[in-house]
Amino acid sequence: MSKDSQMRAAINQKLIEMGERERLKELLRAKLVECGWKDQLKAHCKDVIREKGLEHVTVEDLVTEVTPKGRALVPDSVKKELLQRIRAFLAQHATL
Amino acid sequence: MKMEEVSMSSLDNSKLEALAQDILSDLVEDACLGLCFEVHRAVKQGYFFLDDTDQESMRDFEIVDQPGLDVFGQVYNQWKNKECVCPNCSRSIAASRFAPHLEKCLGMGRNSSRIANRRIVTGNNNNNKSESDQEDNDDVNDNDWSYGAEKKAKKRKSDKVHLYITICDCFSLYYQSVLVYICFYKIYFFIVC
Repeated sequence: MSKDSQMRAAINQKLIEMGERERLKELLRAKLVECGWKDQLKAHCKDVIREKGLEHVTVEDLVTEVTPKGRALVPDSVKKELLQRIRAFLAQHATL
Repeated sequence: MKMEEVSMSSLDNSKLEALAQDILSDLVEDACLGLCFEVHRAVKQGYFFLDDTDQESMRDFEIVDQPGLDVFGQVYNQWKNKECVCPNCSRSIAASRFAPHLEKCLGMGRNSSRIANRRIVTGNNNNNKSESDQEDNDDVNDNDWSYGAEKKAKKRKSDKVHLYITICDCFSLYYQSVLVYICFYKIYFFIVC
C-alpha cells in the first residue's frame, strides 16, 4: 500500500470516527433538498422508470442513470460550502 | 493504522485539495445512492406515482384569473346585496344587517326591546293588567339578565343608608358633648360663685 492511499484511508477513518462525515452528509442532504436538486432528480427518475417499465426497474438501473446527472446538478454554492468545511477539517486533523 | 503516519509534511496543498474533492464526490455519491434507494422503494411499494395526476383533472382545478371572479371561478361578492325577509316582522333587510336586526326583532341579546314592545302592547289594552304585572315581576327576578345590576343597586342603596346613620351618630355625639360641656361650665360657675 502506497503512502498516499494509506494517508487517504487514515483521513477517512478520522472523518467517520469524529462524526464529521455524518454531519457533512446531513448538511449536504439539507442543502440539496433546499435548492431543488432532489426534485430535479426525482423527475429524472420518473422518466427512467417510465422508460424501463414499473416492474423491471432495479436499483442498479437507477444508480447508473441518476448518479452522473446528480453529480452534475449539485450547485456550485453548495459545493463550495462543503469544500470549505472539509478543508477546515483537514487543516485541523491532518497535522495530528 | 496509526494517525502518526499522516503528517502535514507529506501533504502539499494540491494533494490536500484533491483529497477534499474526493471526499466531496464521495458525499455526493452517497446522497445519490440514498435517493436511488428511496425512489426504488417508493416504486416497489407503489407510492411513487401517487402525486401524479392526469392532465384532465388538473384542468378542473386550475386557478381562475378573471376580473370579478375568485380563484375558484365564483363571483366573490354575489351575497353582498342580497336581501333577507325577517320571519318576525316580514320586512326585507340587507343580508349584512340581518343578524343585528334579528337580534333586536326577536328580543335576544343585550339591547332587547322585547320588554318595551310588550309594555307598549299591554299599555294599549289595560284590561289585562295583572298579566303585565306578573311579567314585570318575572323580568325583575330574571337572574340571567338583571342579577349584577340589581345587586349593585341594592348595594348602593344600603351604602347610602349606612352613611346617613353614621352622620346622625356624629351629630348626636356632638350635641351630647356640647351639653356635657355646658353642664360642667355651670357647675364650675356655681363653685366659684
